[in-house]
Amino acid sequence: MQCFGSRELVDNVIRQDLCIGCGACNDLCPYFRSRKGTTVMLFPCTIAKGKCFAHCPKAEVDLDELSTTFFHQRYGTDPLGHYDAIMMSRAGANAGTASFQAGGTVSALMRFALERHYIDGAILTDRKGIVPTPRFVTEPVDVLACASSKYAAAPTVAAVNRAIRKGDTNIGIVATPCQALAISKMRSNPLNDHSFIDPVGLVIGLFCTWALDMQAFESFLSRRIDISTIKKIDIPPPPADIMEVFTDKGKTEFPLTEIRQLVPETCSYCIDMTAEFSDISVGVVEGQTDVNTLIIRTDRGRELVEEAVSAEYLVLSDMPGEKVEHLRWAAGNKKKRGLAKAKEKAIINKPAGTGISYLRINDETLNTICP
Amino acid sequence: MSYLIDNREGVQHLLMGNEAIVRGALEAGVNVTAGYPGTPSSEIIEAFSKIAGDRNIYAEWSTNEKVAMEVAAAASFAGLRSLCVMKQNGVNVASDFLLHLASSGTRGGMLLVTCDDPGALSSVNEGESRLFAKLVEIPLLEPGDFQEAKDLTTWAFGLSEKIKNIVMIRSVTRMSHASGNVTFGPLPETVPHAEYSCDGPLLDTETGPVISMILAAPELQHGPQQEKLEKAARLFEDCPFNTYTGPEAPELLIVTSSACNLYVREAVHLLEIDDRVGILKLATTWPLPPNLIKQNLMRADRIFVVEEVLPTLEGNIKILAADMAPETGIKTFYGKHSGHIPSVGELNPDIVVSALVRILDIDYRPADATFEYEAAALADTMAPNRGMTFCPGCPHRASFWSIHHAIALDGRNGFVCGDIGCYVMGTLPSGYSTVKTLHSMGSGSGLASGFGKLKQFGLEQPVLAVCGDSTFFHAAMPALANAIHHKSPFTLMLLDNRGTAMTGFQPHPGSPVDVMGEPAQAIDIEAICRAMGAKVEIADPFNLEKTQEMLNHLMEHGEGAKVLILRQACALSPERRGKKKFDVSVDETICIGENCGCNRLCTRIFGCPGITWDNDKKVSRIDTIICAGCGVCADICPVGAIRKKEVA
Repeated sequence: MQCFGSRELVDNVIRQDLCIGCGACNDLCPYFRSRKGTTVMLFPCTIAKGKCFAHCPKAEVDLDELSTTFFHQRYGTDPLGHYDAIMMSRAGANAGTASFQAGGTVSALMRFALERHYIDGAILTDRKGIVPTPRFVTEPVDVLACASSKYAAAPTVAAVNRAIRKGDTNIGIVATPCQALAISKMRSNPLNDHSFIDPVGLVIGLFCTWALDMQAFESFLSRRIDISTIKKIDIPPPPADIMEVFTDKGKTEFPLTEIRQLVPETCSYCIDMTAEFSDISVGVVEGQTDVNTLIIRTDRGRELVEEAVSAEYLVLSDMPGEKVEHLRWAAGNKKKRGLAKAKEKAIINKPAGTGISYLRINDETLNTICP
Repeated sequence: MSYLIDNREGVQHLLMGNEAIVRGALEAGVNVTAGYPGTPSSEIIEAFSKIAGDRNIYAEWSTNEKVAMEVAAAASFAGLRSLCVMKQNGVNVASDFLLHLASSGTRGGMLLVTCDDPGALSSVNEGESRLFAKLVEIPLLEPGDFQEAKDLTTWAFGLSEKIKNIVMIRSVTRMSHASGNVTFGPLPETVPHAEYSCDGPLLDTETGPVISMILAAPELQHGPQQEKLEKAARLFEDCPFNTYTGPEAPELLIVTSSACNLYVREAVHLLEIDDRVGILKLATTWPLPPNLIKQNLMRADRIFVVEEVLPTLEGNIKILAADMAPETGIKTFYGKHSGHIPSVGELNPDIVVSALVRILDIDYRPADATFEYEAAALADTMAPNRGMTFCPGCPHRASFWSIHHAIALDGRNGFVCGDIGCYVMGTLPSGYSTVKTLHSMGSGSGLASGFGKLKQFGLEQPVLAVCGDSTFFHAAMPALANAIHHKSPFTLMLLDNRGTAMTGFQPHPGSPVDVMGEPAQAIDIEAICRAMGAKVEIADPFNLEKTQEMLNHLMEHGEGAKVLILRQACALSPERRGKKKFDVSVDETICIGENCGCNRLCTRIFGCPGITWDNDKKVSRIDTIICAGCGVCADICPVGAIRKKEVA
């Protein structure tokens, strides 16, 4: 892949409204920081090729290279990405109870992974007020405190960077698709550091159709409810088309058409609904509030799921074919829209030396999904 | 005992111009002196304070220059000799009172000593104070060498008492801060007695109330004021400090004053044209003595006026010359209007030489113009190229670091309105270019008060201001009151470094001791701001994380004006000087230097002179000689290579 430095990152990502605030460039160095979802460069840095650029999920993402590294094949045409199995799942009897979204699969798996030492620590996304805040936990019981969806973009990868700098290894991460992409870029050792050892033990990806601009979301909610008393935020599976916000005073519903106004521009370039670069991806199931969609993508993902099932942390069931097809259709739509937008902006597959691309993808896949 | 009170008449001492002014005032029996610190004037009050006990003098650093002038004027009204001192910017501050004082007149001899800074070597401007003399109609004196700095000062007290008005003495940086031999006169042995006679008739200048109140009858006060000026002009005709040297009928008459006198003499000497040009050196530059000017204009047809900054003397002489033309003939003038002398910056002998060479068509080849560039280039190879920066361990660096971070992270393009103090460097990379307006004392808060009211016109940027503790008392309090009263939302960061640091750590109303070492009532800044109605927080700027958090919180929350007092003593203050809190060192095995992950944050961006870059080993190191031991760099190092250990 082409790699550049902070200046190109600022010019081609931050200034082009492509930054989602995943935190990939934070805590690598003193120059990039984020606050309330906005990433800023504090001082100029003169390094020509930096990790900030190399790890960014919106800068020179070579999908074939990443796919080859992690799945040993070039980036294919299936909108759901590379996978072994698609199932339905929910937390099992031993997983504890919490304010889960849908089936509680993510919390159950993370708790299990920590308990059985599949991983030594986990980066999850907690919430301070309504600001999603990454958190490093090592105690299985702490996983439940971070349960439930956040919906606003969070600099979760910054916490991964922090943990790595502290020397942590075998880290488990719950990540949105963009965060998972950033982590996979980092894991591919893009700057060919000879001392690099993959510090990541497990990535559980979350389905995502969009995230909210933190500051816009805060300002939207604070004009309507007392945001200091928010307990949980939920978007029930389609076709509900609402966001539910639970406070001391009960539940307030907001139509998703209003909420979608708060989605930043960068989400419209995203081609990944199901967090393709993860070990396991988890999302909702259309029309059902008590189960998750579970996509197993890697061997270690499969191994963890099987162990969790036999330990009664997780319960699996088959996913009906039409639901899989519907998911594929939805993921394909997102991919098509994102690719079309990148084409329109001419930030895809630019010949090397003629500028910086957001994405690089083989022609066959590109033309199949977005002719 | 200070040499300034050496009572042996005729003895010579090497004195700075400012010390010569002090000695001159001592020989005149001055009792009350007041000022506000400002380079190049600050040594004058310092010197008075050191001999206050020996010579029965009261010296104070006043809250601002206007107050200083009022304090000195009170002594004059009570019959004492007094002096107030300030830099050129201070005269602007004092000018409101000055206009009225010039109208009411004075009793005991009173001087306004102003030290201008042509070239703005230590100022934010090179403003001209000379014009004030003409504006408020008072005499202006300018010493032309160091002996004269003393003698003219003594003489000026007598002049003030003869015309019953304040007299302005103007020095410049090169006069105030350079030194020369000065022969001392006797010190008087008078016992002062202060009494304010004010029971007489309203306009009785000896016994009545001292008032400036024209009230539609300008002839009552303005007329007599102008008569005083006319009297001064008559006295100036014979003033021994106006001198002419040169041939009886020179080809060119040079008219000059102040430090330019020295530049002119050096240039004439260098060009060996003593027999071709005459030098009229004027000490009394306003009002000009017309007969003296006429006699000298008669000497030559070509006149060259040499002065710094604005063509003040040049203009005044031209006005007289126009009136006198029937007698003296038409003159050709050289100076600023002709383009021979710049109206910007300091002069020096070279500039005068270049002008004389052009005027007199002299075949003189100075060093090649490229010499200067070559010399500078050579110097660059040997001396490190250092921009203006804060001292090692300066709390302002830490404050601006946090302010920069808070504004960047806030993300709404906030900006800081600056003020006068060392923290003017907040405009430069040394202060992370955080400060975006810079004007006069207290103007940061005033501008911020105004910016804060622009929200209704669409201004969404957070507004911040900085001001120092001394500046707060000097001029920021009215602006803050304005902002609080009008609910103007901004955050004032009060950089409280426990003294008037920039000019040498003079005390201010927040200090517990005055300039003479006497206990003083320290005024609590925090209590003032709270009493005014501001939300006040206090932080130690060396605690970067907390400071940043507080700033971001203040920028986002609360109505109206908010004050964050960033309290940490100046690194050069008596409190901290020579005392390290931490021993700081760099662990070379951890420092990642230029690599991704740091890229020399400490030496490239943070910029404390106490950290240097070892270009051979590619690591940072601490210069333990100049490191002040604040430990802030240890908190900014991204990899923990900079270690701080508390000094036992």
